[in-house]
Amino acid sequence: MTDPVLRADGLSKRYGRRTALSDCTLSIPPGRVVGLVGPNGAGKTTLLQIAVGMLAQTAGTIEVLGGRPAANPAQLARVGFVAQETPTYAGLTIADHLRFGAHTNPRWDQRLADERIAALGLEPAQKAGKLSGGQRAQLALTMAVAKRPDLLVLDEPVASLDPLARREFLRSLMAFVADHGASVILSSHLVSDLERVCDYLIVLVASRVRIAGEVEHLLATHYRLTGARRDPADLHPGVTVIEGSHTDRQSTLIVRSDTPIDDPSLAVEQITLEDLVLAYMTQATTSPRPALESIR
Amino acid sequence: MIWFTWRQFRIPTWITAGALAVLAVLLAVSGHSLAGEWTASGAAGCHADCRNAISEFVQQATNGANGLVYQFTLMLVYVVPALIGIFWGAPLIARELETGTHRLAWNQSVTRSRWLATKLAVVGAASVVTAGLLSWAVGSWAHHVDHAKYHWISPQTYGARGIVPIGYAVFALALGVTLGMLIRRTVPAMAATLAIYVLAVASMPLWIRAHLVPARHATRPLDVSNVTQFMFNRDNSTMRVVSGVVPDNAWVLSNRTVTPTGQVFSGPADPQYCGENHGPKSCLHWVGTLGLRQDLTYQPASHFWPMQWAETGVFVAVAVALLSFCFWWTRRRLA
Repeated sequence: MTDPVLRADGLSKRYGRRTALSDCTLSIPPGRVVGLVGPNGAGKTTLLQIAVGMLAQTAGTIEVLGGRPAANPAQLARVGFVAQETPTYAGLTIADHLRFGAHTNPRWDQRLADERIAALGLEPAQKAGKLSGGQRAQLALTMAVAKRPDLLVLDEPVASLDPLARREFLRSLMAFVADHGASVILSSHLVSDLERVCDYLIVLVASRVRIAGEVEHLLATHYRLTGARRDPADLHPGVTVIEGSHTDRQSTLIVRSDTPIDDPSLAVEQITLEDLVLAYMTQATTSPRPALESIR
Repeated sequence: MIWFTWRQFRIPTWITAGALAVLAVLLAVSGHSLAGEWTASGAAGCHADCRNAISEFVQQATNGANGLVYQFTLMLVYVVPALIGIFWGAPLIARELETGTHRLAWNQSVTRSRWLATKLAVVGAASVVTAGLLSWAVGSWAHHVDHAKYHWISPQTYGARGIVPIGYAVFALALGVTLGMLIRRTVPAMAATLAIYVLAVASMPLWIRAHLVPARHATRPLDVSNVTQFMFNRDNSTMRVVSGVVPDNAWVLSNRTVTPTGQVFSGPADPQYCGENHGPKSCLHWVGTLGLRQDLTYQPASHFWPMQWAETGVFVAVAVALLSFCFWWTRRRLA
């Protein structure tokens, strides 16, 4: 299984004159837990909804697990989706939800669903409308994982949860991934949510993909350089400046370089994932086009 | 998917079944007393010259409790399709869109088209059964009254009898679903459904129904001994004569008095026979000498079923068009 789980080429979505997603080109390898991060309104939901077939793109192509999103029941069966706000039927019980899943999904795993509900300490006869936000999110996740999908897509699943519920949710998500080995794409506007669980990162700002790649690779190719004030242009040619801040005497640069930086006039530091994301977000506010091609 | 739709829809189904059962009891009790009146008036065993017996029965049946039941059930058959559109149609999709649950439903391994088709099949079947049972029960109860009062084909009664209530219900359901899908909010969609349903059902008898089946046309010499309207103005310049000879059990669309050359007769009246100095009799006698004819356009009782099928067909066709749009919209535009 080496075909990408998601391949997008020039994918764009416009609502009238507003662009929600522009020229998105991605190729996500299988077996990854992918974090899609960006500020609110960046286009994360649009991208994910196109990937699960909720929305149709206005231009470009997308292939998910080698098929067109939501093209047929077989394609639907392979992709699990937990929508933003984790909607559930307020008037129906947990058991009704699970029965709905059992009736409509060919690969439904009732034992997995029952075990999850029991492990969460939820009563199957309880109405979904009476659940807390965290419990509702867990129910929605249970619905999605009991489908036994090859790809699980989650749109801001923890945004409305308190820190404890957030940790519980991510923990049970990771337990599922460890047990069943599905690929996962989840979005958040907080890097801290994703840092612990993701091994692949996509930064989406202002409708454009700024960078995408393996977390390890990203961390190994980005540096913070500090030194006497200088013009960023006279760095080594292989070095790309993502963000620079300057005082009268000192320059601090966040750069990307595929080769180690060996410049005695600069202090070179590793950066955290959060710094990296923030640098790309800052860059997006100053330059409308991404400076980099995505890393494959 | 059928199970799930039923699960979502079972409470409205029980409520409706309960209401129909209550109505059935009411109609059974009241139908018993109505049948008693039918026998007591002598109309039941009557074979010739039944006018007196029947008018006696109508007198009994349209006063008191049975009269109320008649009016109430007549209204009910018009109201129930509207309720179906408002409470079953409008929320069917709008509530899912409003609460975001369509995102959950659409990500099970069932295509949107099947999701919509199943919902429509279950709720549509319930609508047809409800409207059909209601129309049948009320129509059976009112059978004698309808016939005795020649109400069968008159516009108000017609829409509450036979199969057209099923057409109204199917139309109202499709209308509610479509508006709910477009407006995406339950309550505004309900209001819009009610408004358009009333408009559509009212426009039927006003402009459309008369033309569904070609009307019958009859012209015969004016019978001056049976004239229901006879008027002329003070200076005799115009006058109006309307014959009272109309076929039994028919919906009269136009009843005109025409001259031998085919123009609508409008006078002038001859002052020699008509006017203040003469009695109506001499004037009427003069009218009788003009060779006027009665020109009648009407839908006879025998057109009842052809018109019922045609009208039901119109509403079902509109419903099919609306639902086709819904399928297209669900596949292409809805998110």
